[in-house]
Amino acid sequence: MAGEKSLVLLDFWVSPFGQRCRIALAEKGLEYEYSEQELLGTKSDLLLRSNPVHKKIPVLLHAGRPVNESLVILNYLDEAFPASPPLLPADPYARAQARFWAAYSDKVYEVGTRLWKLKGDAHGQAKKEMAEVLANLDGELGDKAFFSGDEFGFVDVALVPFAPWLPSYEKYGEFSVKEKWPRLDAWARRCGERESVAKSLHPPEKVDEFITLLKKHYGIE
Amino acid sequence: MEGKEENASAEAAPLKLLGSWASSYTHRVQLALRLKGLEFEYAEEDLANKSDELLRLNPVYKKVPVLVHGGRALPESVIILQYLDDAWPERRPLLPADAFDRALARFWCHFADDKLGPAVGAVFTSTGEEQEAAVRQVHENLALVEAELREGAFKGRRFFGGDEVGLLDVVLGCGSYWLAVFEEVTGVRLVDADAFPLFHAWLRDFEALDEVRETIPAVDRLLEYARGVRHMLLGLAGAGGAGGAGADAPSSTAADAPTASPPPAAATATAADIAVDI
Repeated sequence: MAGEKSLVLLDFWVSPFGQRCRIALAEKGLEYEYSEQELLGTKSDLLLRSNPVHKKIPVLLHAGRPVNESLVILNYLDEAFPASPPLLPADPYARAQARFWAAYSDKVYEVGTRLWKLKGDAHGQAKKEMAEVLANLDGELGDKAFFSGDEFGFVDVALVPFAPWLPSYEKYGEFSVKEKWPRLDAWARRCGERESVAKSLHPPEKVDEFITLLKKHYGIE
Repeated sequence: MEGKEENASAEAAPLKLLGSWASSYTHRVQLALRLKGLEFEYAEEDLANKSDELLRLNPVYKKVPVLVHGGRALPESVIILQYLDDAWPERRPLLPADAFDRALARFWCHFADDKLGPAVGAVFTSTGEEQEAAVRQVHENLALVEAELREGAFKGRRFFGGDEVGLLDVVLGCGSYWLAVFEEVTGVRLVDADAFPLFHAWLRDFEALDEVRETIPAVDRLLEYARGVRHMLLGLAGAGGAGGAGADAPSSTAADAPTASPPPAAATATAADIAVDI
């Protein structure tokens, strides 16, 4: 398919938002060129031109036109490649729920970042919020195999890239996902068995190294 | 006319909207329902005293708006708007047909909610240097939108959706009316017609639409409400200081707004609600 050959993903190796796109592209069987971007140094002209508003990855270039933001990209892939396996369910209400929980999953990263970055009261607050976020996600997953039921889909793709970050968050937040939310823990393992996920994610040790690097970069601790 | 039988009965299920009269997020849904010609029941929520129903229907965020369709709850305005397109595809679509255009509309909706809205809210809730910084932020954000209208994704269009209003118009428009209100209340210049001519023209055309006029509260009510909130935020009588054109800001909020003489906690809740409502 001519359309596929012109897919380029501007990304950064450890970015969970980029990984959402990598997993989605793999699930849909779409070929693309992966382009590693320099983020901590000087950003490329291509990145700055493609996402002038936020100057962030991931950016999906399709025949040269940029689509920005991971969840926008996921929606786009379903709509631009309707013959490929859909990420979103067909039912309107189920779609709305999927969009809601996919957007909600951003909180894992947002709150997690505060866990390793902040101290004192702010850190305490982040601990509390992380517990709420994970409890909400665990509640939504329930006893299902995946978030929308039996099939791996939109919410799973959105959330699973944060799985390798959880051991670090557990360390900084002093909690255990396996102990408190075993269903979520089992879900993460289940997703990890899929080829698209296994190939896209990095091991927790690598993520933890990266967090340590970021801490140095921001002059923390 | 409605297509398949099962669609007909699903579509025919009643619609109920839980909202707040001064919430621009609520207005988005009301406007969208009106544009699509969908009838709905409206239930006003007292944000300082949220109903059990709201807490049950939106346990995660506990916020308005929530749309209830056939007993099922949908929170988050931009998600609700997309749901309306999915559930009633034959009625005046809000999103464009083309996948790339849809991606652009979604991207700019996020921009409105993640960048522009909070920046405008920050202008309203701050003073002095902090406010000056917030104003600069608003201008930077508006400049980005203006650039898209002038030479970018929305070049040559009357509305972001094209000849007719679409998702992004609804999202940006319901909230942009606060700009004039905040200018009046804080005395700060936010949307200069000279600096942002296309945005200014778009907003004027948007606000002139019948469905929009039916949806947005009268500017007097908005002004009174905003003055009351700012007054509480600054904690002083007549502290509309920078902009108070001599009008006596009531020490409590407008009659229709959440509560009269609210205690500090509720005041914070009201301020937070209005700050994120842009």
